[in-house]
This record gives sequence, C-alpha cells and structure tokens, in this order.
Amino acid sequence: MNHATWPARILMVIFTALIVFAIRKAQGGAQYQIRRIPGLSAIDEAVGRAVEMGRPVLLSHGLGGVDVITLQAVAICTSVARQVARFGGRVKLPIYSAPLFPLVEEAVGQAYADEGRPDAFSSDDMAFFAGQQFAYAAGVSGMIHREKPAATFYFGTFFAESLILAENAMQVGAIQVAGTPSTTQIPFFIAACDYVIIGDEYYAATAYITRQPTLLGSIVGQDRVKLALLLLILFGVVLGLFQLPVIANLLGKEDLGLDAYFARGPK
Amino acid sequence: MFTSKAGLALAGFIAMAALLSVAIYAILMALPPKARKPLIAVVTFLSGAIYALEWVWPVDAGGKENFLTPYLKSFADIVTVLQGFALGIGIWSILTVHLKRVAQRRENWGFSVVLLGGILAMLIPYFLKDVHPNGYNKAIYAIAFDGAYNSLNATMYSVVAFYIVSAAYRAFRIRSIEATVLLGSAALIMLGQVALGQALTGWIPTTGFAANFRVENVANWILEKINSPALQAVELGVGVGTLAMALRLWLSLERGSYFEEDV
Repeated sequence: MNHATWPARILMVIFTALIVFAIRKAQGGAQYQIRRIPGLSAIDEAVGRAVEMGRPVLLSHGLGGVDVITLQAVAICTSVARQVARFGGRVKLPIYSAPLFPLVEEAVGQAYADEGRPDAFSSDDMAFFAGQQFAYAAGVSGMIHREKPAATFYFGTFFAESLILAENAMQVGAIQVAGTPSTTQIPFFIAACDYVIIGDEYYAATAYITRQPTLLGSIVGQDRVKLALLLLILFGVVLGLFQLPVIANLLGKEDLGLDAYFARGPK
Repeated sequence: MFTSKAGLALAGFIAMAALLSVAIYAILMALPPKARKPLIAVVTFLSGAIYALEWVWPVDAGGKENFLTPYLKSFADIVTVLQGFALGIGIWSILTVHLKRVAQRRENWGFSVVLLGGILAMLIPYFLKDVHPNGYNKAIYAIAFDGAYNSLNATMYSVVAFYIVSAAYRAFRIRSIEATVLLGSAALIMLGQVALGQALTGWIPTTGFAANFRVENVANWILEKINSPALQAVELGVGVGTLAMALRLWLSLERGSYFEEDV
C-alpha cells in the first residue's frame, strides 16, 4: 500500500488549501475570468447547426463507470443537453455502463425540465449498448448512421473505440467535439474530430459552459497549484544546474526520517 | 474487520445487509430534502476521509501500514457492494425502459427485443454452465461466448485499422503549418521505427556529431524530448484537475450541474 512521504503531505495540504480557498472566495462573490477555449466555444455553433438542420445531437460519456472522469463527462454532457433543450433540439445518448443509465436519465431529464421542455426528452432517446467496448462501438456506429446527428460530443474515458465513433460520425457530416483525460486517445481524437479538449481543459469545461462560481473558483485554484508546481520545478532545475539537487532529493526521498521518529517516539 | 462467511451464515449476512440497505433507503426517502443533503455530505466526507487519512497518516516502523490500513479491504468491499446496488438499479432501469418500449410497440421496439433476447442468451448459458456443468451446457456457453461474442469483438477491433488509415489521411493533408509539422514528425517517427527507414540514413556514422542525423536517432529525439514532456505536462494538468474535482465532491462544495443550483 502506498503512503504519503512528508513532502507529499505538506504539498497536498498546500494544494488543497489553494483550491478550497479559491472556491470559497468565488462562492463569496469574487469575480473570475476564464480564457476562451475554442472546443467549448464551438458547442453553441454545433448545437445551433443541429437544431437548424432538424437533426439530433449525440452525447457519448465514454467507457467509464460511476467515477470522477465519467461524472465530469455527465456534467459536461448535461450542460450541452441544456443548451440543446433551450434551442428546441433533440439529444441521443448511447450508454455504456448500466449504473450510469438512471444517473444520465435523471440529469438530462432535469436539464430539459429546467428549460421548460420536459416532454422533449424521454428514455427513448437513450440506448444502453452493452457494457463491452466493441459492442458499444458497434451500437453507437449504428445509431450514428440511423439518426445522422449533426453534432457529436465525446466526453469521458475512451480507448480504441474512439476512432470508430469519430470516423463514423465524420461519414454523416457531424461537427465533432471530444474531450478526454486519456492521453493515449487524444491523438486519435485530434486526427478525427473538429475540436478536441485536452488535459485539464476537460475539468474546466463545466466552469466554462456554466460560469458557476464554485467551478470558476476551482479552475483558479487549479491554476495556482500548477503555478506553484511550475515554480517548484524551475527552482529545482536552477538548483540542479549548480549541482544542488535539493528539490529532487526532497521529493524523491521515501521519507525525511520523521516517520521513524513518530514510530519510535521521542528519546 | 469482518471474517469471511460461508454457507448459511453467508446467506444470513447477505439477507441482513439487504434488509439494512432497504431500511437506510427508506429512512433517506422519508427525510425532507433539506435534512437528506447534509446527511449525504457527512457520509461522503467520512468515506473519503478514511482513504485520505490512511494515505497521509504516518506508517509504522516497517513503513508498511498505519492503524487504518487493515480496514481498507473491508471498506473496498463496501464499495463493491454499493457498485452491485448501482448495477442492479441500472439493469432494472434498462429492463423497464425496453420492456415498456416493446409492450407499447414504440419506434424501434424491435431493437429492444434484440437487447432483451441478447441479455437472456448470454445470462442463461452462463448460469447453466455453473449450476449444471455438463458438456451440453458448457458447449452452449462456448458457442455464445467464444463462438459469437469473442468473434464479434475481434471483428469490430479489426475495423480500427481501416479507420486509422482514413483518419491519418485527413489529419496529414497539408492544410496548415500545424498539419505540415504533424506530417513531418509522423513520417520521421514511422521511418525511424522500421528497417527500411533506418536504411535510408544507414550511411551516416553511428558515432560522433553526425550520428544525431540518423533517422532512428531523430525519431527517438522527437519522442523523448518533445512528445514525452508534452504528454507529462498534459498529465500534470489532468492530475491537478482530478484533485480539484475530487475535493469538490469530497467536501460537497459542488452544487452545480447534476446536483442542484450553485450555493
């Protein structure tokens, strides 16, 4: 079982404090701005185009179960569904994980209800395509060719099926927006999709779309953590150039002897 | 924390756990929403705190565990049980949706029949194989799983090869500076991986400054000095994003999207 070293404990406390402080400050009324992310700006364009063409919008949550990445995917897709509902469009939701089915049904149904169109969404717009990777890929491909969505959104955990989904949607002329923290799948999405959200932009998506203070504060907190890490790395590099690998030793060492001190107690 | 049970004791524990779960569910449903939310927030915090504390708490002299470590497996079992409930709810929801669709003959109800038939076609042979493990039942399972399912899976996977070619063709078309750089670096890396490509620069000495221009060395340089750091930077951002998301969920700071209005 892995346990934290003392430097990791200290850094974790600092990072947690930075993020929670920024969230609390945002909730208290602080105004934060977020830079333009082209992939997320394209959502309006894609949704508007789908509504104009009278074709649905397909939202895929990937192959995750009920985990952090997929919950974020649900949040993003629900925000997109809210916009689709606002413009009077339809969504199609292929589902991979059975436990996710009622969660997505509830979230998207609520989004439609919030926009005053509860009757425009029903469970018929959702399809459970087996909890198996290529069965899901085959099911979504079939759905794409039958429904001919004008826009497709892929958010969540993806593996080899990412290219099957994106290439099939390309064949029906859909605008495609993808976002995944899986670094191995990003190149496939970049090759096949119109817009790709990479890295921590994935976690910034809901903040960007909804502009909720809690989420904006979280993004600011994240940026401060990244800045702190960057400074730590630069400091370590500079010290390393002068043959003083202090930071590398500090972070790389299993512990600083404090664990042993606590275990045996003061002499 | 709990010792393993078997036979009647196991059945009794499962029944008790099921009853307890139903009771907890009933209590939660009976509570007004305002009282339910703090309760859920407290349970979420305590559940997360166990794992967080276990990770940060100083370990014993052996460096292996602290006072919480022995209980982790039991907590992991609780998570498995909860996932079982989530799966049960999911299956129930799917069956309800598709049975209704078939009963009401709604659009595309035939696909629902196929889905329900597919579930039974895999489920029944699986149970029969375990309950009555005779040759006949094993053969039916083998046909359903190895014969049909695995073959269909492999077929879909093989399709990826064709899509890689079409996606690569579109990505590598020289439409912009980025696409040109992408094409150039991809070509160098591909050449650096195969003997034919390496033969192109085989005449360059393997030592000295000139060796840097051998195609395999150029490919390795791109992978190690450009690709790898870029991926690590992306992963660093993802890691910080995951930490922030986990904190929002753990401390119930998030109220947006699928929970409720912002605080």
